[in-house]
Amino acid sequence: MAASVCRVGSTVGRSLVKSRSPILLSLRRGQASVSYAQSLLGAPETRLTALDNGLRIASEETGQATCTVGLWISVGSRYEREKNNGAGFFLEHMAFKGTKKHPQSALEQQVESMGAHLSAYTSREHTAYYIKALSKDLPKAVELLSEVVQSCSLNEADIEQQRGVVLRELEEVESNLQEVCLDLLHATAYQGTPLGHRTQQNLTRHDLVDYINSHYKAPRMVLAAAGGVNHEELVGLATDHLSGLSFEYEGDAVPVLSPCRFTGSEIRMRDDALPLAHIAIAVEGASAASPDIIPLMVANAIIGSYDLTYGGGKHLSSRLARLSVEENLCHSFQAFHSAYSDTGLLGIHFVTDRNNIDDMMHWSQNAWMNLCTTVTESDVARGKNALKAALVGQLNGTTPVCDDIGRHILNYGRRIPLAEWDARIDAVTPKIVRDICSKYIYDKCPAVAAVGPIEQLSDYNRVRSAMYWLRF
Amino acid sequence: TVIQVQISNASVMFIRLSNYIFPQKIYFFLSPLVVLNISKYYHVSPAPGAVRLAHTDIKIPDFSEYRRPEVLDPNKSSQESGDARRAFSYLVTGASTVVGIYAAKTVVTQFVSSMSASADVLALSKIEVKLSDIPEGKNMTFKWRGKPLFVRHRTEKEIAAEEAVNLAELRDPQHDKDRVVNPKWMIVLGVCTHLGCVPIANAGDYGGYYCPCHGSHYDASGRIRKGPAPLNLEVPYYEFPDEETVLVG
Repeated sequence: MAASVCRVGSTVGRSLVKSRSPILLSLRRGQASVSYAQSLLGAPETRLTALDNGLRIASEETGQATCTVGLWISVGSRYEREKNNGAGFFLEHMAFKGTKKHPQSALEQQVESMGAHLSAYTSREHTAYYIKALSKDLPKAVELLSEVVQSCSLNEADIEQQRGVVLRELEEVESNLQEVCLDLLHATAYQGTPLGHRTQQNLTRHDLVDYINSHYKAPRMVLAAAGGVNHEELVGLATDHLSGLSFEYEGDAVPVLSPCRFTGSEIRMRDDALPLAHIAIAVEGASAASPDIIPLMVANAIIGSYDLTYGGGKHLSSRLARLSVEENLCHSFQAFHSAYSDTGLLGIHFVTDRNNIDDMMHWSQNAWMNLCTTVTESDVARGKNALKAALVGQLNGTTPVCDDIGRHILNYGRRIPLAEWDARIDAVTPKIVRDICSKYIYDKCPAVAAVGPIEQLSDYNRVRSAMYWLRF
Repeated sequence: TVIQVQISNASVMFIRLSNYIFPQKIYFFLSPLVVLNISKYYHVSPAPGAVRLAHTDIKIPDFSEYRRPEVLDPNKSSQESGDARRAFSYLVTGASTVVGIYAAKTVVTQFVSSMSASADVLALSKIEVKLSDIPEGKNMTFKWRGKPLFVRHRTEKEIAAEEAVNLAELRDPQHDKDRVVNPKWMIVLGVCTHLGCVPIANAGDYGGYYCPCHGSHYDASGRIRKGPAPLNLEVPYYEFPDEETVLVG
C-alpha cells in the first residue's frame, strides 16, 4: 500500500518536473506570489533632501498607519576627549528630562497622549533620538524631536539625579558580560585612542552644553523617517523646526576624526567564581564605507552564529556550529563586524565553560584559516544566501527601516537599496572571500578580551601563532 | 595606598596596590609584533570611598615605552606599517634560527669528533724518511703502523731489469712503473702476502726479497715470482715533499 502510494507520488512528481513550470510545483498554485528579485526592486525609493543649513532629510514612504521619525547625529564616544568622556551617554539620559518649552511631565504627557514611544541610543560614532508614532502625528513628533535636540533644559537637579541613574545603569551593564567583554575588546584594541574610551562620571552642566554646542551641528545630522510619511510634508516640518540648527563651529574648530590605531593585544579579567567565560577575539577589519565590507559580511555569515537553543544539532550548516554541538565546545558564539568610519573590528565572540576554552578558540581560529585558504563554492553560496536573508529580514518594521536610513546616510551619504546590496553580494566569489579574508585576518595580530574563568585560554603567543598555517 | 614596583629579570613589571579588595586579577599583554612580550599585572582596588568597581575603572596601561616607533602615534593607523614590522620580526627570527642551527651543529660535531682518534695516534700514522741515509742498493726497514716498511734505494741495473720483465710471467701482473712514484726508490710493506712473515732483503733468486717461512721469492720491485704467496708486496701511499724526504701514509 505504501509502496504503491510512493510509486504514484513519484510519477506525479516526475511529470510535474517534466512540465518545467515552477508554478505547477508550487504548493501555492493559484495565489499570486512575488519573487525575491521582484520584491527587491519593488521597495519604495528613499528620498533625500538637504536644507540650507546642511541638515539632510531622508524618508521611505510605505503608506503604513505608523511611522518612525528620528534624528541621527554623527557624534559618539569617539568624539569625546578625556575630559568630557561620557558626555554623550549622559546627554542621552538628560534628553528626556524636559525641554525649555515642555518641562519633563509636559513632555511625557505630550508623547504619551499620542501613544508614541520616544527613545534614544548612543554608540561610538552615532547618536539617535527617535519617536515611533502614528503617521498622522508626524508634525507633533518632529516638533518634539526638534525641541529635545535643540533646547534641552539640562537643569542641575536633573543632572545630579541622572548621575545616579547612569551609575546604576553602568552597574547593570557589569552583569551583562557580553557587553563587558566587547567593551574591553574595544578598550584594548584601540588603546590610547578615542575609540577605546570608557565612560566617566564627573561631568557638569557646562560639559554637556559644550558637548551639544560643538557636535550637534546640522551638517552632521539626518532627519530620517519611515512608514506612512510624506516626504514633502517632512521637509516642510523640518524647515519649520530644524532650520535653526547651527552649522558653524566656534572658532572654526571643526572636529576632524583622526584615525585610530589598532593594537594587537589582550586583556584578561579572570574571575573563577563566574560560571561561564566570555571571550572575544578580533582583528582590524574594514571601515563602514569600504568595498571590502561585503566579502567580510559574507565571511561572517559563513561562520555564522550559534547558541544552545538552536535545534539543528549536527546538521547546522556552519562548520563551527556543527563542531560546537558535536564536541560540546561552547554555549554560544557569534561572528561580528563592528564597522566605524575608518576602521572596524572583525571578530568572533563566544561563551563557554572553563574546560572548553582552548578547543573553542582553536576551532574558531581554524574557521578563520579555512576562510583565508580553502573556503569552497558551496560555503560561499550558503553565506551569501544567509546574508541576503538577514539583510532583508532585519528590515521588519518602520523603526528598523528608519534606523537603516539614518545610519546609511551618516555612513555612506545615501541609502543603499536592497537591490544594490543584493547585487554586491552576488558579485562575491570564493576567491574574493579568500583574498579579502587573507588581507584582514591571515598572520595579523588579534586583539583578545576575556572575562570569567579563563585559565584555560592559551597564551597570546599561541593565539597569535594560530593566525597562520605552516602548511601554506 | 602603597605602590610597589618590581622589575624582574624577565622584563615584566608588576604594579601592586596594597589593600586590594577585589579578587579579580587583571593583566594586559601587548602583541609581540608591536613589542616583545611585555605584560603588566594589575591588582585593581577601588579608591577609598568609591561606591563600586566597574570594568570601566580599569585603565589600559600606557605601553609607549615598549612600542616600536611606527606605532607610537595613536592617531595613525597601524595597518600601513604592519608588513614592515612583520618582515623585520620574521627576518630576525629567521636569521636567529640559521645562526642557532649552525651553533648547534658546531657543538654537536665538536662533541662527536672528540670520540675520534687523538692527535698522538694520528701522528703515528705517517712516517718521514730521510733518503740521504740510504746508500744505493741498500734496503732499510722502518716500523710503521706496527708493520715493517721497506725503503730500497735501487740501482740503475735493478730498475732496468724490473722494467723489462714480461708481465705474462707474473702471478700478480703489475708493471714496475705502476708500483713506484720515483723508480730510484722502491717503498713496500715488508709483509709476505702468503701468511704474513717478514721477507729478508737482498735474498732470493730474483735479486729482491726472500721469505724464509714458506719460500716465497720477490723481485726488486716487490712482485711475487716463486713460492706460495699470491700477491705482490703491498705498496703504501707515499709522496716526496722534497728531494731528500719521503712521507709515507
